[in-house]
Amino acid sequence: MSLTAKRASRYIIALVIIFTLNFVIPRAMPGDPLTNLLGEDVILTDSSVIELRSEMGLDRPLFEQYLDYWHGILHLDLGYSFHRHSPVAEIIFARMKWTLLLAVPSLLTGGILGTILGALAGWRSANSCQKASTAFFLAIYCTPPYFLCLLALYLFSFKLDIFPLKGFYDTGSAADIALHLFLPVLVMTLFSLSRNYMIMRGSVLQEKSSLYAAFARAKGLYDAEILFRHVFKNALLPIITLLAMDFGFILSGALFVEIVFSMNGMGNLIYDALLSRDYPVLQGSFLIITLMVVSANLLADILYSRLDPRVRWH
Amino acid sequence: MIPDATLCASPEIMPEAAECPDENKRQCCKREYSRTERISMSLCSAREVLRMQKMSLVGLLLFLSFVLMAVFSEELAPFDPWMRFEPYLLPGSEHLLGTNDMGNDILSELIYSTRISLFVGFAAALMATLIGTIVGLLAGYYKGMTDEILMGITDIFLMIPQIPLIIVIASFLRPSFWIVALLMGALWWTSTARVVRSRTLQVREMGFVQASRALGFSDLHIIFTDVLPNTCHVIAPKFLLSIASAMIAEASISFLGLGDPTMKSWGTMINFAFTRGGFINGYWWWYLTPGLCITLFVLCVVLMGFAWEEQERTNQRLE
Repeated sequence: MSLTAKRASRYIIALVIIFTLNFVIPRAMPGDPLTNLLGEDVILTDSSVIELRSEMGLDRPLFEQYLDYWHGILHLDLGYSFHRHSPVAEIIFARMKWTLLLAVPSLLTGGILGTILGALAGWRSANSCQKASTAFFLAIYCTPPYFLCLLALYLFSFKLDIFPLKGFYDTGSAADIALHLFLPVLVMTLFSLSRNYMIMRGSVLQEKSSLYAAFARAKGLYDAEILFRHVFKNALLPIITLLAMDFGFILSGALFVEIVFSMNGMGNLIYDALLSRDYPVLQGSFLIITLMVVSANLLADILYSRLDPRVRWH
Repeated sequence: MIPDATLCASPEIMPEAAECPDENKRQCCKREYSRTERISMSLCSAREVLRMQKMSLVGLLLFLSFVLMAVFSEELAPFDPWMRFEPYLLPGSEHLLGTNDMGNDILSELIYSTRISLFVGFAAALMATLIGTIVGLLAGYYKGMTDEILMGITDIFLMIPQIPLIIVIASFLRPSFWIVALLMGALWWTSTARVVRSRTLQVREMGFVQASRALGFSDLHIIFTDVLPNTCHVIAPKFLLSIASAMIAEASISFLGLGDPTMKSWGTMINFAFTRGGFINGYWWWYLTPGLCITLFVLCVVLMGFAWEEQERTNQRLE
């Protein structure tokens, strides 16, 4: 019980620190905090500057501002984007589902395929086919995801003209969306697959030389049986924690993929906000992404304690 | 950031020798087990190490040539990277890799960009390694409350989505590679800290450390003269892998236009190709080579890091 409490407190502290950081950044950075909170291309008259300053509470003590900030967060109020003329929370929630549509399938297929292929590669590491696949995934592992996107887009959309060039949909039918999503999801899957592949391969290589595997072989079990019934389970445990941590990377990767494929998800939202220095949107997006990454970690923690009896019995 | 399997403790399930009824036999079968295992392991790992060494040699050569390129860019580059020729030239005999929209020679740009890209990677990795080592040493050596607090902080840092945070902070500041390197260094130390901590936990129980403690040396003296040298071999591969992740992150952040536009790095080259129409118009030579350079450099660093880590693991197994 106390372990659960300790874990939970860690998550809560993490969230408080990150949210506080988000409060501090616009106020500590060089320049006028009002500009930092509103965004740079907002043009205001002198009277509205004073009005906005008091409305946003910038003339009050910092501590009161901080309490106000938390009040806003707890009511899902992430500020107002003057650049886009709408509340930040609304903009982000409208975009978020598209990014998730891109990230979640990639994460899942990448996770499943990566662990299986990685396990096979670790198990038969001397085989030349496995060597080739390891080299291939290592190369992908070392490539920035957006560069992979550029190459894929150039090859399949420009040259071969198989897939559409940009966006999430033309007509909005499911088949159309799937066609648009295919290439980005493929790249993201490769990206997540290569990470899981490398880890699982290392993990199986380590497990392979342990005694229980030798014992299973001595009992006369088939190779595949030893791998998938005995070794796989033990080698899989590190992956669960890493999958959650990876969620953050996949999400950041998805942002870049969206920029290259001109898809209207979080990535392009952040990119546009960056170009126009629309700070409220940038900060709101950061908060929402953090929230999602932290909850993914929490989920992995719960899952881990279910799956690993040694943790459960503690 | 590059994840690693060593972060999580691998479960070690030892078959019980306890089934043997009498004491003598139990000991003998235990010894037998470990001896056969040792032989099979050393054979298997020798082959593995040999293979890894070949790979890491290739990595080392590539790595050195990139470093030479960064040091001697003035001598190696055929032109000044800011000099203007005819724009959009295809790769040819005059300009080996073609020219961009400003008419700059891409090969020269590429060679000069090595400097900034490598600088950011090294600076970030150096800082991350420094912070990670200190945190890991302190947490592992003092254990108890210090360990709880430091590892708690590490867990919190692990959860922060790093690239979005860097984007937010960098967007408020003037674009600069120094800031990008500093931010990455401040965020990327977590995995080093964990590895160093677990190694320190082992080292602190060893005889020579206990002897120093018994002789009355101060804690700091023991940490830096006894413990630190014995953790170096786990720090070094982590340092290489940090360079790799910092390079990829730098390329991504420059791609968003957060790098200094007056300096050239591989990431900014791709960014310019993307935003100034090189990609849309199909001028592949403009963005292909910087991308390949990033991949190649990261690949050679990762190869060396993996080979080192692998060797470390086999050494430990054989101990």
